Amino acid sequence: MYKYNFIYELKTLLRSGWIQFLSVLLLVLFGFASFNGSQKVEKRELDIASIKKQVNESDQKMLAQLDSIERGLNVNASRWTIPSGPTAVGNYHPRIAAMPPSAMAFIATGQSDLFTHYVKPTMAGDDFALNFTEISSPVQQLFGSFDLSFVIIYLLPLIIIAFSYNILSSERETGSLKLLASQPISIHIWVLQKIGIRFLWIATLTVILLLGTLLIFGGPIDSGTMFSFIGLTIAYILFWFALAFVVNLQASNSAKNAITILGLWLVFVLLAPSIINQLGSTIYPMPSRTLMINKMRTVKAEVTEKQDEILDNFLRDHPEYAINDPNQSRRFYHRYMASQDVVKKELEPIVNEFENQLDKQQTWVGKLKWISPAIVMQQALNEVSGSSTKDYENYRGQVIGFAETWRQHLIPFLYNNQSFTSSDYEDLPSFTFKPLTPKTSGISALAILAISVVIGTLGIAFSPRVKSSKTLLF
Amino acid sequence: MIKSTFIKEIRQLTRDGRVATAFVIVVGLLAMAIWISGKRYHAINQEYREAKSTERAIWDNQGDKNPHSAAHYGTYAFKPKYPLSLLDQGVDKYAGTSIFLEAHKRNEAQFSMATDQTGLARFGDLTPDFILLFIIPLLIVLLGYNSFTKEHEMGTMALLKSQGTSVVKLILGKWLAIMSPIFLITTILFLIAGVVLSNLDDFGVFSWESLGVLFLVFICYYVVFTNLVLIISSRVKKSGIALVFSLSIWIIACLLVPKISSNIADTKHPYPTRQEFAANVLKDKLEGLDGHDPWSKQAKQLEKEVLAEYGVDSLHLLPFNFDAYRMQKGEEHESEVYLKHYRFLKKQFAEQSEVYQGLAAFSPFLPTRFLSMAIARTDYATHWNFADAAEDYRVKTQAFLNNNFAENSSYGEWSYRASADTWKKLPPFEYAPPKLGEILSTNGSNLLILSTWLIVSFGFLFITIKKI
Repeated sequence: MYKYNFIYELKTLLRSGWIQFLSVLLLVLFGFASFNGSQKVEKRELDIASIKKQVNESDQKMLAQLDSIERGLNVNASRWTIPSGPTAVGNYHPRIAAMPPSAMAFIATGQSDLFTHYVKPTMAGDDFALNFTEISSPVQQLFGSFDLSFVIIYLLPLIIIAFSYNILSSERETGSLKLLASQPISIHIWVLQKIGIRFLWIATLTVILLLGTLLIFGGPIDSGTMFSFIGLTIAYILFWFALAFVVNLQASNSAKNAITILGLWLVFVLLAPSIINQLGSTIYPMPSRTLMINKMRTVKAEVTEKQDEILDNFLRDHPEYAINDPNQSRRFYHRYMASQDVVKKELEPIVNEFENQLDKQQTWVGKLKWISPAIVMQQALNEVSGSSTKDYENYRGQVIGFAETWRQHLIPFLYNNQSFTSSDYEDLPSFTFKPLTPKTSGISALAILAISVVIGTLGIAFSPRVKSSKTLLF
Repeated sequence: MIKSTFIKEIRQLTRDGRVATAFVIVVGLLAMAIWISGKRYHAINQEYREAKSTERAIWDNQGDKNPHSAAHYGTYAFKPKYPLSLLDQGVDKYAGTSIFLEAHKRNEAQFSMATDQTGLARFGDLTPDFILLFIIPLLIVLLGYNSFTKEHEMGTMALLKSQGTSVVKLILGKWLAIMSPIFLITTILFLIAGVVLSNLDDFGVFSWESLGVLFLVFICYYVVFTNLVLIISSRVKKSGIALVFSLSIWIIACLLVPKISSNIADTKHPYPTRQEFAANVLKDKLEGLDGHDPWSKQAKQLEKEVLAEYGVDSLHLLPFNFDAYRMQKGEEHESEVYLKHYRFLKKQFAEQSEVYQGLAAFSPFLPTRFLSMAIARTDYATHWNFADAAEDYRVKTQAFLNNNFAENSSYGEWSYRASADTWKKLPPFEYAPPKLGEILSTNGSNLLILSTWLIVSFGFLFITIKKI
């Protein structure tokens, strides 16, 4: 009987054209989304490559200038840009701190449209003023991007709903349910079977499509990450089928079923995330950026007034500079760099407050994400593609660390009044981005699977079976 | 017949538990959204006022200082929040709120809210515009998907036909039954918003006309959706299918088309990256006069011209400080360079806008979204307007400072200090957003697209479904 049912179901699906239609739809959506994502990744790679090329060229120029100076020739350039001065190297020949895309970056745009992927921290620039945002049209950020993560999180559930909202009700509406009821088979098992076929179809198709897109658009991918990503997507699909199963068992008409499942979609995909986000930012409010600017300005004004005193203190703390340079010639940059140090120390707690609040919000989301699998999915997909808030925080942290390394590398030259030479070029520090390793998606996949199974079981337990299957029939 | 159809439909809707629940939920969400937005509006405006006055105090109390040091020290322009942002937050979340105004450099607005939020914020916020733009159309779908299909399913279509009523009257009755609850919700929402906003202290910026036009835009949007839903319902035989079709329209109009158009716009007319933009600006800057570099070719040229103009042979004999004069000329050159590059950004965006408008043929959501942001003064154009005003102020500030330097010192006198009360003489930065008339005329094409949707959907509804 099960076998007949299976064949019958498959045949109706094929003959009604549903399977073909949905397959083509999925193919188009996945293809278009991956293509969009990969275009963004490509642009990012090109941008980074072109800036690297530029810096290389400018480095060659710098080396040529240094060479001329060392051979006692005249260099035709503004005085303060001549690279024998350490501050000229520090400010006019900064290194690139780039964040290259991860192998699966094309999957989710995430936060990547908000932030820049390379900066050039200079010696004199202060780290808090480093601008990590990207110039882009805010309209684009408002509308968001049509990427795989959008297709999986928003559209896949809708496709599942369209595929399965009327499994039982349409049989009743066309009158074939009565025929089926005469067969020796439990209604629950029968609905489960019908939904199982649909699940298998969509899951298989999704896996094939995902593997295909990863193969075409992805970089060299670590198989663990890939399997947890695919596992997660299947779990998410299963979750929506479980919901559809439960709603189907509630024995209503097709339209009402559709409204119910759609209401659930609205709650899980649109409302829950925005409410959780709103609560998070109300409980852990961000301090005001505008007021931070005020504070920053006041500190800087105070520090500027005391520049001479600060330089004295700085030199007292660093006696090595006093010894190495007998002339003790102290100019603008000596005072400036010393006071930057003070500004940085004074502002650190204010700036850290932003990061702390953001971390707290992140933890809050981490706890409450289980309310909606859509959030779990979004977080996991962003992590997998290296475009989550955490990834950008990590990048920001590394850049600020590197800015400090850069400064510390050149500061001895400055205070020792020592010239920068071509032999020092080799020793200049360079930046390599160390990405975070995504690790939560495997657990998330299992959790969503478990949730789906629980929903399915509860659905059977609380379906109108008690009132005999008559309720299902009429 | 219109009246009796209307009464029957309304009665049916009120008796349907799901519709009532949905209605209550939407009203609840709206109340929550308004409350949250109102709180945020108050907080941000308070911060704005505080930041503005503190910043001005910092500027005023610089003490004795060289004017060019003051120019480098700079000041900030803060973007105010407009009353109607209570209803539509627009792109405010993604656009920066403060611009640093300093010598030689035009800076971008910094610190957008989105960069200070977790990735979850990208799902969207629970704001009135989210409900007005996404949820209410969904409510329309829910109210109207089975308007005609249920008559088929219950067999009442034949009865209706036997009454000899004209189809137009029937449609009008059903149309009114769907639109009136929507109209009611929207009116109440806008009235509440109007009352709340007109009771604010800075009432000056708020105008009832803007609110009224915004209201009309949304009503048009809802009418288009109602028409579409009714057209589908009259053409399809089964309620289930009608629902799926109406929902597909909602998904395409509100979710798919905006995202697809944003992708197309970005690929076809990309912005340069921040670093590229800075590099291009720098390149152009180097081709002109650098106010700080007296040895460059351009500086020598300027020197020659000025000496010739005043008929003297030494810079010391000029009636002003040539250093400051050169600084000002350099500033003028730099501001032209910025103007050119920002014009390029604006051109890219204008072309992106054309992409959006081209695709608006598939989505009544797009023109509504753009109009509503524009009227609420939370759109990208208003942001540009603010940034341009800030730049204008920056250029004037530089001229003020350089002129002070030039007039009160002699050539080479870098040790000159302007007195402590100089800074107060700089007029404060004031910004007023564009007027409603201006906004409507720049958004003419969006108005046109929305009207086209309105007319065409009505046309379809009344002409093509006569054969029900």
